[in-house]
Amino acid sequence: MKKMVGAIGGTRKAWILLLIVAFLLGACSSGSQSGQSGQGSPSPSASSPSASLPAAGGQKVTIDYWYWVDDAQNDTIAQLIDKFNAEHPDIQVVGRLVPFNEFQQTLINAYASNDLPDASRFKDWWVGQFAENNLLEPLDGYIQNLEYKDDIDEPFWKTGKTADPNSPVYMMPHQYITFYLYYRKDLFEQAGLNPPRTFDDFLNAAIKLTDPAKGQYGFAYRGGGGGQDQWYAFMLAGGARMLDENGNVIINNAKGVEVNQWYLDLVKKHKVAPPTAASDSYAQILAGFQAGTTAMMAHHIGSYETLYQTHGDKLGVVPTPQADPNNPATMGTMTGNVLFATSDQKDAAWTFLAWLSGPEATDILSKSTNGQLPVLKSLTDKPEYRERNEGWKVALESERFAITGPPLEGVGKIAGSVWKENNDLALFGQITSQQMMDAIAQALKE
Amino acid sequence: MKETLQSRGSTAVRTRFFKRYGKYLYLLPAAVWIVGVVGYPVTRAFFFSFFDYNPLRADRTFVGLENYVRILQDPVFQKAMINSAIWTFGCVFFQVVFGLIGAVLLNQRFRGRGGIRGLTLIPWATPSVLAAMMWMWILDGNYGLLNDVLKRTGIIELPIPWFSQTTTALPALMLIDVWQGIPFFAVMLLAALQQVPGDLLEAAKLDGAGPWKIFWSVVFPLITPTLLITTVLRIVWTASYMDLMMVVTQGGPAYATLPIPLSAYYTAYSELAFGEAMAKATVQALLLLLFVLVYLRLFRRRGAVDDVQ
Repeated sequence: MKKMVGAIGGTRKAWILLLIVAFLLGACSSGSQSGQSGQGSPSPSASSPSASLPAAGGQKVTIDYWYWVDDAQNDTIAQLIDKFNAEHPDIQVVGRLVPFNEFQQTLINAYASNDLPDASRFKDWWVGQFAENNLLEPLDGYIQNLEYKDDIDEPFWKTGKTADPNSPVYMMPHQYITFYLYYRKDLFEQAGLNPPRTFDDFLNAAIKLTDPAKGQYGFAYRGGGGGQDQWYAFMLAGGARMLDENGNVIINNAKGVEVNQWYLDLVKKHKVAPPTAASDSYAQILAGFQAGTTAMMAHHIGSYETLYQTHGDKLGVVPTPQADPNNPATMGTMTGNVLFATSDQKDAAWTFLAWLSGPEATDILSKSTNGQLPVLKSLTDKPEYRERNEGWKVALESERFAITGPPLEGVGKIAGSVWKENNDLALFGQITSQQMMDAIAQALKE
Repeated sequence: MKETLQSRGSTAVRTRFFKRYGKYLYLLPAAVWIVGVVGYPVTRAFFFSFFDYNPLRADRTFVGLENYVRILQDPVFQKAMINSAIWTFGCVFFQVVFGLIGAVLLNQRFRGRGGIRGLTLIPWATPSVLAAMMWMWILDGNYGLLNDVLKRTGIIELPIPWFSQTTTALPALMLIDVWQGIPFFAVMLLAALQQVPGDLLEAAKLDGAGPWKIFWSVVFPLITPTLLITTVLRIVWTASYMDLMMVVTQGGPAYATLPIPLSAYYTAYSELAFGEAMAKATVQALLLLLFVLVYLRLFRRRGAVDDVQ
């Protein structure tokens, strides 16, 4: 018995010892991590373009580059990396494909474990989050020597800056998306409707083309994952803005609340969207539009080829309908590339990014199924882009009035969960449009 | 002679030492591994739950119990706790009931029994994300198979948006998990049923007991330890499982399918409030710890631990 008690006591002691060791490890390591984080958050002054030289000692420099692709069947970016490596014997770029849905999370985890890559593909709505924490390398010093810098318009450079008026460029702009509206030409013709140009046209058409008994709805409302982009395109088209010219958050002003209410009413009052609207993500709205369940869908050129294969000449594209066609606006979003401040091979990484964003590589990428609108004027002025198809034509036309999300840390939160959660609550009548806008304004202010 | 005695003495001490502590030395590699891959992250998470911690910032502030107070007062987290309870106990209850029925049926003698036993494992072997995608289209509110069948049979007129209504979203997800978890119980309980001695059943039959009486008075008590242990294990797994919600509903609509783990995930990666997220994870861990203690007690009662000792 005594032996047994002793054994149990020994087991307990062993458990307690293990717990203490684990706790000390956790506490000590977090302390050291904190210190490393501090060291790993370099000041902008540590970012001169000559911080490191590729192949200074004649050795091959290895660069880690992380990216995502929209079309998983297409490996154009991997091919571009191979092409760069073949043309640059002193630099070896090692690409890592990370699914887009996990991209931001993977970067955050990588930073927490001091394992960020040298460079990566990046979205404009993450710039505020990462730049404000000194994780991105300012690129102005590099850009001033870039041979094609004048080929990129100023609004595109702005997408790589933070909200600070003196912000340097942190993200090299590369590929752009503008939101527009797909519609079914045949269904519109049968109903005697013209392509929608205004909010009134749009709502009228959506109501006429809705017949729940036939499983037919006017508009593919995206209430599930990623729905904030579609919402923001309509908010902008309705005249609402996230910030005023002085940088104050105004999304919850009377205009914002009114346009948001109009958008919510597509589901709540007019019921022109399928009953699944609250949870429909991209896969569902795409399938609905392909199957003919919905007559209109807001998206961008990323879905044009797929939809054209389904509908052929029945597929119509118009700019996002506007509340005031004299002051048009829609949502634009930039995909670019960044250098991480933690990289010890910044010059070599920049060499790769400058090449990847250059005319040759951009042309190759833009013509693939992973292509979006190139930011280089020399490319977009070419007839092969302007006249490529109806989607490209409208998307390029929309560039002149497209507005990107403000580069604030809160935009990442809105895209992450704040919009979805509050849109749900508003759709189910648990909060008002004003409360939804207040929640979004709060996220922007934090 | 003296040297020999000394040498014998030290050997005896060494022998006594190994006799007493040798088992711990054998356990040491596994213990180091567990401390590294389980103990370290768990304690680190617990440690951070007392901080205001954004992983992208170098500094973090000690806030004591503030994160715990905030989450416990947050109606969304309260909703997540209720969702987790409904999800966990609802799923496990139906899995136990149908798993037990399945095990009893599979224990009968019939032609093709081996093949059927193999086929029942398919849902269990299906990867979660694949199962989620498959059921998403079966239960789709516009073109789903289930809605189509219900419409054709005249049960409904308009399709039901299963995942888009606050009343049906969680039950629809539970249906998927129950479908996937039944084979686990069926196989575990089948193994237990096969351990029931045939002479006991024979004796009960000779005493005049019917099949119902035999099951509840002879079979069920014998399979109860297995049933309890698998149930507790499954409760812990189900409570921690969030893949389905993440893939299918993202916790919506209106938090109807938001369990504690997904709530912690969004707090961590959307709001970048790691401290608060760790507090949520700690609350979940403490609740599950109760079940782990029950599991250990049951395991010990079965004699497995004592046998080892």
